[in-house]
Amino acid sequence: MRLAFTEIRRAPVRYLLLVAAVALLMFLILFQQALQDGLVTAFVGAVRNQSAPVLVYSVDAQRTLQASVIPPPLEAELRAVDGVGDVARVDQGTFTVEVDGELRDATILGTDNAEIFHPTELVEGREPETAGEAIGSSVDFAVGDEVEIVPFGDAEATTITVVGLARDVQLNVTPTLFTDSETFAEADRAANPDVAVVLPNALAVVPASGVSAEDVVDAIDAAVPDAEALTRTEAADTAPGVAQVRQSFQIIFALYVLVIPLVTGLFFLIITLQKADALTLLRAIGAPASTLVRTLLLQVGAVLVLGLLVGTLLYAPLSQMQVGGLKLQFDAGSVLAWAVLIAVLGLLSVFAAMRRVLRIDPVEATIGPGVR
Amino acid sequence: MKLALREMRRRPGRFVVAWTILALIAVLLMFLGGLLDGLLGSQTGAYRSQQADLIVYSENARESLPRSQITPEVKAEVERVEGVAEVGSLGSTQLGARPEDDPDSRDLMAVVLFGYEVAPRGVPEDPPGLGKVVADSSLRSDGVSVGDTLLIGPARTPVEVVGMVDATTYSGQASLWASIETWRAVTDENRPDLAGRTTVQALMVRVEAGDDPEKVAAAIDDATGETKTLTISAAIEALPGVSQQRSTFSQIIGVTALVAGVVVALFFALITVERTALYGILKAIGASNRTLVGGVVLQALVVSLAAALVGAVAALVFDVLIEPGALPFAATPARLLTSTMLLVIAGVVGSAFSLRRVLRVDPAAAIGGTP
Repeated sequence: MRLAFTEIRRAPVRYLLLVAAVALLMFLILFQQALQDGLVTAFVGAVRNQSAPVLVYSVDAQRTLQASVIPPPLEAELRAVDGVGDVARVDQGTFTVEVDGELRDATILGTDNAEIFHPTELVEGREPETAGEAIGSSVDFAVGDEVEIVPFGDAEATTITVVGLARDVQLNVTPTLFTDSETFAEADRAANPDVAVVLPNALAVVPASGVSAEDVVDAIDAAVPDAEALTRTEAADTAPGVAQVRQSFQIIFALYVLVIPLVTGLFFLIITLQKADALTLLRAIGAPASTLVRTLLLQVGAVLVLGLLVGTLLYAPLSQMQVGGLKLQFDAGSVLAWAVLIAVLGLLSVFAAMRRVLRIDPVEATIGPGVR
Repeated sequence: MKLALREMRRRPGRFVVAWTILALIAVLLMFLGGLLDGLLGSQTGAYRSQQADLIVYSENARESLPRSQITPEVKAEVERVEGVAEVGSLGSTQLGARPEDDPDSRDLMAVVLFGYEVAPRGVPEDPPGLGKVVADSSLRSDGVSVGDTLLIGPARTPVEVVGMVDATTYSGQASLWASIETWRAVTDENRPDLAGRTTVQALMVRVEAGDDPEKVAAAIDDATGETKTLTISAAIEALPGVSQQRSTFSQIIGVTALVAGVVVALFFALITVERTALYGILKAIGASNRTLVGGVVLQALVVSLAAALVGAVAALVFDVLIEPGALPFAATPARLLTSTMLLVIAGVVGSAFSLRRVLRVDPAAAIGGTP
């Protein structure tokens, strides 16, 4: 053990460089993991963290709430499908709003039945009780905020009061409000005074008693060709862009994860080759091979632990910030999972160096290269 | 210099380690850059291809095309502003499209139908006739070609493809370019909530030759009092997510380049330790510090360039192999060049870390074996 750390103390620069490389790579992986999670949550949090088990879009919307329109005949067809229990209309629109004198974008989700379609959990405040009240996304609003829908032309402005907050309920990376259909319609008319009719974008469905969400999805898809039903999880995971975001980040993660063991493994292999003579001598004076291997593993372990720790410490303050409107989060489980994966791969990567140590023949110390 | 290159030829194994890892980092850098360019390209193509100088939104739309509404009166006011040479309406609707021979298909093509009056590059100056469109060439991967009829939206409104244009995607979707009349007809049929509107979403403005577009933009906003006018490049940056994506990816690319620098520093430090005696001998026989330092930097340059070559080839191969629409990725010459320069700078700066050790080598001690 002493040998391992004495060597590091004697040549600290090269080990510190390796620690820096591991730390930076760990930092990058954690940062990008947080970005991916933040991005997906901000895209579809309002879909994932709402209460309706099934959402039905028009098939033309291709699983996008804002592109979906449910005209009355389609709605009637959907309500009549076997297995469909309670149904709520869901309206969606993105508006320019003013809060405390500052203009922002906001997505407003309206419903005619808040028992069916509402955020699953409030972190502050209460449920809306009258028209003109809403639950807001917690990263964007505070209870008591007065949100004015900026009117177009001479249209009448309308104001929504935030009475409750819910976590992770953004849609399309914009501040999001859950309110009733009447309030939504007022907001829509303020921003679009010549709107002909306010049609729901989707229907939120509760399966009839004894029917599963999957069964009602199948029943709707079979009976109504112009509609697409999705369970809550499917609607969130298969929304356009989500799969692409995940796929892109997975490729990036794979490349970064490959770099760490490669750098660590090759570094220790070179170091082992460079000090082959000294290791041979140690073996010749009685140091068992297991001691040398333990020394190597200790050094690898120390570098990895330090690198992972520094990388995590670099990431920790960043995880409390917002990046480009995305709220990042320090996910301890994710940090631990990455640390374990990288540590295991790092330890496995020194297999070649370990093999080289085990193959050292102590006799070579007495005969020297010239005699061989 | 010759010595440094000769060493690389005679003992390539010594540099393979740094090159391998650097090549992997180069692949990462170019993949990240390609992803950024692909993402931005797929979101902004319709704006990038515009030949107009300015785009006029309604003031409260916060530079969002779907939220913007311009009345005919505002358009008339804009036309009267000094410095304005041409004004054209622009409207857009995002819908699904089906091939004519499969009207009940649930596998739709995501399209944005634009109605225009000022033509983007590659699109006819005079908009196609009613019911006709020019399609973005990315739709070829869905089997669409000139002469085909597409059924647009839930109403299955037929439009005939009369031409193709490159690089005009918007918001990640293929575009269809039509007259304002076609756009309005398709929108009215498919979006009953928007039917009957007399507004368009934006105005595209060409300014008089020699006039400053930014001054004309300010004059337009002053004249109307209810518009927000941007240059096309400012409008591209204002599109949702564009500047955020650019800055986030740039930070990730920057830190990745830093990792490249650290890796080069690490492996050149190891190589330098191995060569201490050699440097001692070279110094003893008269080699100057400059020669030795130059050799190290040259080797770092060669290793970085070779790694960048691997990264560039990998990015180009990836660009060819990737299925259209599967992943937004574009290997552009500018990006490959920038990434190469970044990697070379990181490599050279990283190698400089070992220079102190090279300069400190004492010829006598090195030859005596006690570096």
